[in-house]
Amino acid sequence: MENDGRRKFLGICLAGATVVATAAAAYPVFRYLAPASGPSGAEKLVFASSELPEGEAKFFEYAGSAAVLVRTKTGETVALSAVCTHLGCIVQWVKQSQDFLCPCHAGQFTADGTVLSGPPPKPLAKIPVSVAEGKITVG
Amino acid sequence: MPLFKRVYDWIDVRIGARELVKKELTGYLLPRNINEWYSLGSVLLVIFAMQVVTGMLLLVYYVPDADKAFKSVTYIMNELPYGWLMRLCHAVGSNMMVAVLFMHMISTLMMGSYKGPRELNWLTGFTLFAIVQGISLTGYLLPWSQLSFWATTVATNSVSAIPLIGQYLVEFLRGGKMVGPPTLGRFFALHVAVIPVIIALLIGAHLFVLKRTGISSPPFGGDEPVRHWPGDSYRYQSHPGGIPFFPNFALQDLTSIAIYFAVFFGVVFFGPDLPFTPDAFVPADPFKTPAHIKPEWYFLANYQILKIFPSELLGLTVQAAAMTFVALLPFIDRSPERHPLKRPLFLVCSIGGILLWVGLTVWGHYS
Repeated sequence: MENDGRRKFLGICLAGATVVATAAAAYPVFRYLAPASGPSGAEKLVFASSELPEGEAKFFEYAGSAAVLVRTKTGETVALSAVCTHLGCIVQWVKQSQDFLCPCHAGQFTADGTVLSGPPPKPLAKIPVSVAEGKITVG
Repeated sequence: MPLFKRVYDWIDVRIGARELVKKELTGYLLPRNINEWYSLGSVLLVIFAMQVVTGMLLLVYYVPDADKAFKSVTYIMNELPYGWLMRLCHAVGSNMMVAVLFMHMISTLMMGSYKGPRELNWLTGFTLFAIVQGISLTGYLLPWSQLSFWATTVATNSVSAIPLIGQYLVEFLRGGKMVGPPTLGRFFALHVAVIPVIIALLIGAHLFVLKRTGISSPPFGGDEPVRHWPGDSYRYQSHPGGIPFFPNFALQDLTSIAIYFAVFFGVVFFGPDLPFTPDAFVPADPFKTPAHIKPEWYFLANYQILKIFPSELLGLTVQAAAMTFVALLPFIDRSPERHPLKRPLFLVCSIGGILLWVGLTVWGHYS
């Protein structure tokens, strides 16, 4: 009986030590493989207005993701996330129709990101943008 | 526990797990006088597994490109969380693997376990030893440091002493006249794909042969009757009345593995520079050979032999002859006696050989 108690105690100690050792090995491996923490999204990007002619779009990387700047034919400048809200494909700018088309499942968005047709459940996310003294500031 | 038992029962009725456990673990009997030296094989299995796991983790970030390899290793060491731990475990582990292999082979020699019917155990083990040196050599180049570059230059250059085909062999190994980007590609493929598969197959063969012959009894400290194998037919060496592998010897295996880890992590945490020289922290420069470039410690004796002999070919021949002698030892030393103290010639030659190797290694280090 005494032996059983001792065995049980040692078994619990062994199990505990195994759990601690496993955690000690797993934590560095997890940290090693975890993605590096990138910019939080607070960064600002500046483009010259001349880089973006009327009716054109410019794709760029913003806060670790794809974004797009559009200057509509009415002269308005819009910055949007270029990630389709359906399944995450990158939308394309269709100059002729002045709208966005997602090549994966034919989702369509207006130049300001509103859903026109197709499966996307939400509009494209808007990014703050301002234009002053010939410069476009995103973020 | 009831859940564990139910799962075990579920598996048992399907694949006969209990019968397997009884046959391979609790009913697998080992000689009563078995000693801790017999657990070095298990330690080596753990080291190999660690090398595979840390190697796979390093592959996530390592870039096998001559322009990027050094930077990627520096990034792993200095910027990635715990990258230094992964790399040090791999680098220290490779050195430890060679050291424990040496100990495993010496214990096999001293206990006469290489003798018939275990010639195949010795041959597969010896080949493993040579191949492990190959995987260490190919891995040495991958960080693309001055040390890697020039140690590989020296090591591959020694092949040129082989008459007629030597120079061609060197170029074939390097993928060009000099060590360069093609060498990195070749060594990378050998290190991460080709040699690990060969090692895994050889370990499988080694364990298979061990299972078929049965484990040998230590030649001392036991009361098992000595039964010499006449060599006329297959005989499995069983150990009636012996101790079960599980839990008795499994506990010894775990103890040896724990001691190994204590030493291993002692080096990783308290002597992390041991596997490296200052040249390991400088990127490879093909136009600047550093002074006093030396190979890894386990190649120092080979390196010193090449320096001693006036002709490189003679040095290589002596090494090849010594390696062949050790590889074919079970076929040369055919006496059935296994106790080391009852084999004075063997004892003198083996201790002399080990001391010679140690002496050449120390000489190579300080020369």
